[in-house]
Amino acid sequence: MTSVHFSFSSAFTLGLMGLAFHRTHLLSALLCLEGMMLSLFIALSLWALQLQTIMFSAAPMLLLAFSACEASAGLALLVATARTHGTDHLQNLNLLQC
Amino acid sequence: YILAWMGLEINTMAIIPLMAQQHHPRATEAATKYFLTQATAAAMILFASTTNAWITGDWNIPQTSHPAATSLLTLALALKIGLAPMHFWLPEVLQGLNLTTGLILSTWQKLAPFILIYQIAPNTNPTILTSMGILSTLIGGWGGLNQTQLRKILAYSSIAHLGWMITILHFMPALTLLNLTIYIIMTSTMFLSLKSLSATKINSLAITWPKTPILTVMTMLSLLSLGGLPPLTGFMPKWLILQELTKQNLPILATIMAMSALLSLFFYLR
Repeated sequence: MTSVHFSFSSAFTLGLMGLAFHRTHLLSALLCLEGMMLSLFIALSLWALQLQTIMFSAAPMLLLAFSACEASAGLALLVATARTHGTDHLQNLNLLQC
Repeated sequence: YILAWMGLEINTMAIIPLMAQQHHPRATEAATKYFLTQATAAAMILFASTTNAWITGDWNIPQTSHPAATSLLTLALALKIGLAPMHFWLPEVLQGLNLTTGLILSTWQKLAPFILIYQIAPNTNPTILTSMGILSTLIGGWGGLNQTQLRKILAYSSIAHLGWMITILHFMPALTLLNLTIYIIMTSTMFLSLKSLSATKINSLAITWPKTPILTVMTMLSLLSLGGLPPLTGFMPKWLILQELTKQNLPILATIMAMSALLSLFFYLR
């Protein structure tokens, strides 16, 4: 595994751990999601550069566009949650328990 | 892979406004939880495909051959469809939605990840697949026993059915597709009959007898079919799957699956 591969893998894994173990704020989960998308963007760009073809060059831009859409959807949901639940805290998201 | 990922993302983003339409706190919370899990799963799918591309230099979907990439891909797709051990979001999310949105969630949303699963099926690790399948059937059976809310019961039933589908994936993928189709039909029937009865708890199902006796009979029949009793259609995939499992000399696995089907049958009959 080359060093580039290791670097973006570790970046993605760190973001994933942050997303899985977020504790108080929903916003930190969204930030970790964005971090993961960013590491994937770097990975795709470097892969397209390594292959020296121009075929996959559009892929990182597409990923960036879609991750921006995803982030905006997440933020809209955050706003909706803040409007109905009052705060951002994850302890408030317990209306649906068994 | 990029196109598959984009399709999954568009799917997620299109469902989110449908789920959050109600402006009820439960619906918003369900939408948020759903969004987080699905976005994580989509990012993991892309990460698995990128690692595969870095290691093997291949970008075609049926040729993901690196074992780490396929395992990660399987886990991510299981998170997407709600397979144990990543099923924890499904009952709560389904509980927070109204019945039509829940119908879309249970049926249509399962199609796209299943297409990916079907395509990478020959390369995956059979241990992961069968263990997730058994775990799903068991958890789907046990988890649904204590429920009174109908949507949560349907959530646990979907977990169990998905477990059946995943177990047979390695041996005969055609059976998986058959099971998926039949499951979609049966679940749509259940959801639509519940919607016309506008019932969300078991207690409100008990008063449907004077209202529309025909619909009550149909609901009972479709429930029994979901449970997999012999004269009804639901028995066919279970029978075929068990037959295939015994052909591959795995009788213990077949016995475990049959026992867990009994569990879900119990709470259907209630």
